[in-house]
Amino acid sequence: MLSPVKIWRNQKHIASRLGLTGKIISWSLIRVPPDGFSDQAPYPIAIVELENGSRILSQVVDWERDVLKTGQKVKTVVRRTIETTQDGVIPYGIKVKPI
Amino acid sequence: MNIAVIGTGMTVFGERWEISPRALARDAVKQAITDAGCDKKNIQALYVANMLSGMLGMQGHLGALFAEELGLSIPAYTIEGACASGGLAIHTAVLSILSGQYETVLVLGVEKMTDHKPEQVSSALMGAGSNEERLAGATFPGLYAILARSHMEAYGTTVKELASVAVKNHYHASFNPKAQYQKPITIESVLRSSCVADPLKLLDCSPVTDGAAAVILSKKPTKHGITIIASQVATDTLGIAERKSLTTLIASTEASRNAFTESGISQRDIQVAEVHDCFTIAEILALEDMGFVKKGEAGKRMSRGAFTLGTAKQCVINSSGGLKACGHPVGATGVKQIVEITDQLRERCGKRQVSHARIGLSHNVGGTGATAVVHILRKETYA
Repeated sequence: MLSPVKIWRNQKHIASRLGLTGKIISWSLIRVPPDGFSDQAPYPIAIVELENGSRILSQVVDWERDVLKTGQKVKTVVRRTIETTQDGVIPYGIKVKPI
Repeated sequence: MNIAVIGTGMTVFGERWEISPRALARDAVKQAITDAGCDKKNIQALYVANMLSGMLGMQGHLGALFAEELGLSIPAYTIEGACASGGLAIHTAVLSILSGQYETVLVLGVEKMTDHKPEQVSSALMGAGSNEERLAGATFPGLYAILARSHMEAYGTTVKELASVAVKNHYHASFNPKAQYQKPITIESVLRSSCVADPLKLLDCSPVTDGAAAVILSKKPTKHGITIIASQVATDTLGIAERKSLTTLIASTEASRNAFTESGISQRDIQVAEVHDCFTIAEILALEDMGFVKKGEAGKRMSRGAFTLGTAKQCVINSSGGLKACGHPVGATGVKQIVEITDQLRERCGKRQVSHARIGLSHNVGGTGATAVVHILRKETYA
């Protein structure tokens, strides 16, 4: 069960990282997901270098096979992250989409 | 530094459905005590290495638990450093002897992984990563796959070269009666195995394993003369996104450099090494980051058999079969590496014996290189 307090605390940092562009440094396609991600598999994850120079590890959304490459331009968006229980808080976080 | 390894023991590694963590521990410790030829009353402290018991089995407080199981009411500690828990526990035990507090101590590494569903194990293992990695749905195969892709793009390392690590380690494990997989495999079978996280395939990955390993360390030397002459730990950022390089695990470089300095030993002096091959790319990184080969060359030399029993000219890597084929009960792995190196230096490894092994190294990694532990062992000759 995800702690609602932890979600509330972490979500305060999302806004400052939204709408940034960046590029893929390296990536993989997760075919065997951990608990809480089976509804999304297979899904890509990538190390992305953002325009402000910082790097994040993020899921890639709205993807097709040909965008999974080093140097691909992306931008940060907000998306639901992990599956939650029926009465749990829905957690949101940063993901990237190709541009 | 001269700490004697006076006794070693390990269970058969594998899917041990029928056996409890307590029974695994009893088996490994009994072997170590018999091997040391000492009375268990001589053991003054216990260090337990484990990663997942609290998360998967809801059982913490393992120091007291295993002290009770062994019938010892001595100071007992749990050491956790993800997959480097075993190496860290050895390091901590060494320090406790150097401090003068204890003369003889026991290190027990134990992990029971197959009692739980694979996705639960996968999630629990991600406890070793960063929160950002967990929220992205990353897995350890996925994170090492990212490192593999960077290495392939930077140095031209191929999937065949990665596969040759698995082939070598399965070959070595075919001579190890305690290994989880004692069946040789081929490059083709690795490449044909199903993809877990591109570019890593099932047979690029170490398995889920139950097992325990135990080592007794002492200030007093023994007649076989196996001693730990260097014990070093280094750390790095928990997540890989914060790293400057995705093709080097800096913690491995730093821990090994300090271990070589501490012992006055160089890479060329080592005949046998157990390195942390949780994925095939991890063994490539280990050999390069510790300076056994130049950056970018490990894959090519691996394919040519440069680290394989029988064809290696200088140093055999992962004679036990490594994490890949001997198995990877995460908390036990670092302790098992010391067991294998000690047994090699004592020349009691049967068909997988490395001839004239006198100096050995063990390299244990936690997470994707957030912790690295390096030990160097030597066979002393007493006149």
